[in-house]
Amino acid sequence: MSIMEPAATTTRWAGRVRIALIGRDPKRTLMRAAVLAVFCYIFFKFFFFKMVILPVRIEGNSMFPTYHDRGWNYVNKLAYRHSEPQRGDVVSIRMSGEHVMFLKRIVGLPGETVAFEHGNLLINGKPMLEPYLKFRSPAPKLAPVTLGPDEYFVIGDNRMNSDEGRIKRERIVGRVIL
Amino acid sequence: MKRWAPVVLGMAVIAAAIWLWMVLFPSPERAIRSRLNALAKAISFDSKGGLLTQAYNAQKVGEFFTADVDVEVDVSGYGPMSFHGRDEVLQAAAAARSQLSSLKVEIPDMNITLDPDKQGAKVNLTGKAMVPGERDVTAQEFNFFLKKVNGKWMIYKVETVKTLAWAE
Repeated sequence: MSIMEPAATTTRWAGRVRIALIGRDPKRTLMRAAVLAVFCYIFFKFFFFKMVILPVRIEGNSMFPTYHDRGWNYVNKLAYRHSEPQRGDVVSIRMSGEHVMFLKRIVGLPGETVAFEHGNLLINGKPMLEPYLKFRSPAPKLAPVTLGPDEYFVIGDNRMNSDEGRIKRERIVGRVIL
Repeated sequence: MKRWAPVVLGMAVIAAAIWLWMVLFPSPERAIRSRLNALAKAISFDSKGGLLTQAYNAQKVGEFFTADVDVEVDVSGYGPMSFHGRDEVLQAAAAARSQLSSLKVEIPDMNITLDPDKQGAKVNLTGKAMVPGERDVTAQEFNFFLKKVNGKWMIYKVETVKTLAWAE
């Protein structure tokens, strides 16, 4: 009897594992798994990866060296639901839709005057420290621009090869996560 | 299973009828979308086609524009360009074909606003151009203005939208 005990225990545990994995009724478990898979697919494809987190592939070098060409990242679309974008945030900016977007850093906030002198960023006439910069703008001077109440000034970290300009708040889709 | 067969069959027939209706009588938005996608396809070309095919496809681009079309664009990296009339647009398309070995144009996003009488429309879109072999993709936002001429949606004005604007 004592010899039989380990085998019985093994069988009992195997049964428990089997029930835990595939349930008492495998057909019903399969059906549940299929429903769950469909639900997950719909949830992630049509809600989570559209309304909450947007996966993006970076093309171009305008944010180099912070972000590299052909790299992947994610945009948090809820980042500015209860707060406004801040200076230094890297944001995605929509064009006519969200399939192709700009990836830029916010350097100017609403109402501020932005200018560049010898590659240095000036906000309201005062130079700003930009620790994330490796490549400064070769342009000696760019005329000051005063932002409207719902406008932000954005530019890429690679000042040698980046578009820059003012954008409306409504164009900011979200903040880059990584 | 037999119980469900008529229901499934009925649903399939209804789906097919809806699909057929949408194909035969597309909404103006759908018609515009399909027309602009066809334009993107006509602008695109590759090196595989012969000279005759290329000339035919270049000519096909003209079918999408009115004779007095007005194109004023300023694409980053290419500078401002303006074309007045269909002939100038065709010449520009032919010039692009002679300078590039191939080009792929896509329109990933379109926002269509119809005029109240549904005879005209403004389309805010993103055009994406890729030259195979080159790493950089060019993307630009445009406004296309279309009107219905003899039942066809024709482009009569194209302008660039500066997503990142320096000046006000």
